[in-house]
Amino acid sequence: MKKIILVGKPNSGKSLLFNQLTGLRQHVANFPGVTVELKSGTFGDFEVVDFPGTYSLQAMSSDEIIAINQLHKALDHEDTALILCNLDATKLERSLVFALQAQALAKEHGKSVVFTLNIMDQVKRFGYDYDVEALSKVLGSPVYAISAKTLLGISEFTAALKKHAAAPEKCQVQETLLTQLSPLEAAKQIADEHGIKQELVLGNQTKLDNILLNSFFGGIIFVATMFFLFQSIFTWATPLMDLTEAGVFGVGEWVSGALPEGVVADFVNDAIFGGLGAFLVFIPQIMVLTLIIGLLEDSGYLARAALICHKPLSLFGLSGRSFIPYLSAHACAIPAIMAARTIESPRKRLVTMLTIPLMSCSARIPVYALLVAVLIPDERYLGGWVSLQGAIFFMLYFGGLVTALLVGRLLDIWIEKGEQRNDLPFILELPSYRLPHWRPLFYKTLNSGIAFVRRAGPVIFTVSLVIWVLGYFPEQGNLQSSWLASIGKLVEPVFAPLGIDWRYAVAILLSFLAREVFVGVLGTMFAIENAEENMSGLVEQMQADGFTFATGVALLAFYVIALQCVATVATLKGELGKNRYSWGIFVAYGLLAYLVSFLLYTMLS
Amino acid sequence: MTIWDLPKKTSGKVARFNLNMPENLKTRLNEMGFTVGQLVTCMKRTPFNGPLVIQVQDCVYSVDKQIASQIEIQS
Ligand SMILES: Nc1nc2c(ncn2[C@@H]2O[C@H](COP(=O)(O)OP(=O)(O)OP(=O)(O)O)[C@@H](O)[C@H]2O)c(=O)[nH]1
Ligand SMILES: [Mg+2]
Repeated sequence: MKKIILVGKPNSGKSLLFNQLTGLRQHVANFPGVTVELKSGTFGDFEVVDFPGTYSLQAMSSDEIIAINQLHKALDHEDTALILCNLDATKLERSLVFALQAQALAKEHGKSVVFTLNIMDQVKRFGYDYDVEALSKVLGSPVYAISAKTLLGISEFTAALKKHAAAPEKCQVQETLLTQLSPLEAAKQIADEHGIKQELVLGNQTKLDNILLNSFFGGIIFVATMFFLFQSIFTWATPLMDLTEAGVFGVGEWVSGALPEGVVADFVNDAIFGGLGAFLVFIPQIMVLTLIIGLLEDSGYLARAALICHKPLSLFGLSGRSFIPYLSAHACAIPAIMAARTIESPRKRLVTMLTIPLMSCSARIPVYALLVAVLIPDERYLGGWVSLQGAIFFMLYFGGLVTALLVGRLLDIWIEKGEQRNDLPFILELPSYRLPHWRPLFYKTLNSGIAFVRRAGPVIFTVSLVIWVLGYFPEQGNLQSSWLASIGKLVEPVFAPLGIDWRYAVAILLSFLAREVFVGVLGTMFAIENAEENMSGLVEQMQADGFTFATGVALLAFYVIALQCVATVATLKGELGKNRYSWGIFVAYGLLAYLVSFLLYTMLS
Repeated sequence: MTIWDLPKKTSGKVARFNLNMPENLKTRLNEMGFTVGQLVTCMKRTPFNGPLVIQVQDCVYSVDKQIASQIEIQS
């Protein structure tokens, strides 16, 4: 299939345009450096390839190196029909610096170029309009004014793109008056003549920055935002969680009522509704987290947050650029490790990648939420917007961050000796503030819930099944004398110093398959144990079981630190190209987790 | 005087880059808009010698001391 290569300045809307052309849902967010690897999709009879954004053909960070190398390859390849170069109409000069370089290179290789002048909706709102025809003439390639967001001009553009891609020889790069100038000079001249005035664009941005980056309020707003984010995962999701729980139990009661008493009914009750059901209850939390991170990503605030964090983070061997990977690691560590590619300094990038697994990813949410609900009373303040449980939830996230910073500091000292200190400095573009777009946000939120079930659901189902068989037999429902108990008692001594009995030890070991398995396994075991009693939530069952505070804290600490995710280790291995850190980090975090939870348990009991 | 010495809400024209600055970084700064003769404005300074907020043409950047103190300006 012939290819259309989509390149351009960072944060110019390439991925949003790519999504509109292909119908896919690539990650789109309002800060430079969102896309860090090539992504393909089909558009009519063509393949469109979305590239990481670059400021110039001379690459500095590793996402740029990927983009530039692949661009050179694509230009040499005969399958490449067209270079589609995206310009940000609100930042014409910056966009043109790269665009003109890319255009000149394409011309050398005999490839044709088409320009899109994106974000025209904003330009129009500022009361400006481009003379597209004049711009095409001066650039020597066709230009289309579009908005990938409001779809302004998109239908004309897609029709034209198909035509150009089918017959690229008809839109060869033309000689223009500016061809003999350097891209820098030409960009300046064209922008002076055609571009929108910077005062129009920057007016609102400056006003907001004056508040959000204020020396005093800026820090307070930042901390408040983060606190609000993490505690709302718990507080906001509670009503939804209760609803899901009621739903699961409603269906459970109805189904088991319809079944004749016996092994089958017990199985459905314990393994399906006890095990899998205990896990489904946490979908709302995952979705609330995605929604709030999505809102922040789209607003443009994250680049400001990176600025605010730069100084404090650099004390720990990190950079302000580490902030965004750290934040997205709270959803999942894997894309976050990839996102660390945008960090220019290789050393800081390494430290960031190795500490990312300490951020509490969404797989820990079920464990945190369960244990917090068991241990902490439900008290609410400020009309229900803030709760005690939510605040403790925040503390857990904070605990992960603090551990990451300390480990970062250690790594920083340690790596400095071995690896050469090769630091590139911190410079980050602050994008314009934008109102988030509800539709992609809605899909992103919905998909996070679906992805959560897809990823962990099958594992939890299988594990619950096995656990049920081992826990139910041979004495038909007597957990304490089951096969599972005999196996569990073997590992019990290892975990006894943390104050937990064999049931929790089994749950911990099995959560190396996936962290969420913890709740599934406990759900199944408690359902077997409490079969005679009325159905109640896992939380009440654990409270009635005499679960102590010290044990709870020890367990929480263990889950904050331990790296119980094979996929994360594999991603680290892929990004680092050598094993010595990835498995080392896996073992190190396991031991650290054990040590910290042992100390906490001893102190508290 | 360098960009790092610019007080808040003042501007200056880029005069030259520190001689020790690596060539690739200099090119990149050029491409980001820091060209000799270009007017740059310090929009904000952050506490504890944190990064500056610098406006150059159509872009606003956050720039740390390491870079800002290597770009000299005529005041
Ligand atoms: N108002 C408006 N916003 C847009 C338009 N196109 C993109 N955006 C927004 O611009 C931001 C950046 O979009 P992306 O598609 O992630 O940009 P990108 O070029 O892929 O960025 P990198 O992957 O970092 O190179 C997002 O917040 C988009 O919602 C547009 O036409 N109008
Ligand atoms: Mg992108």
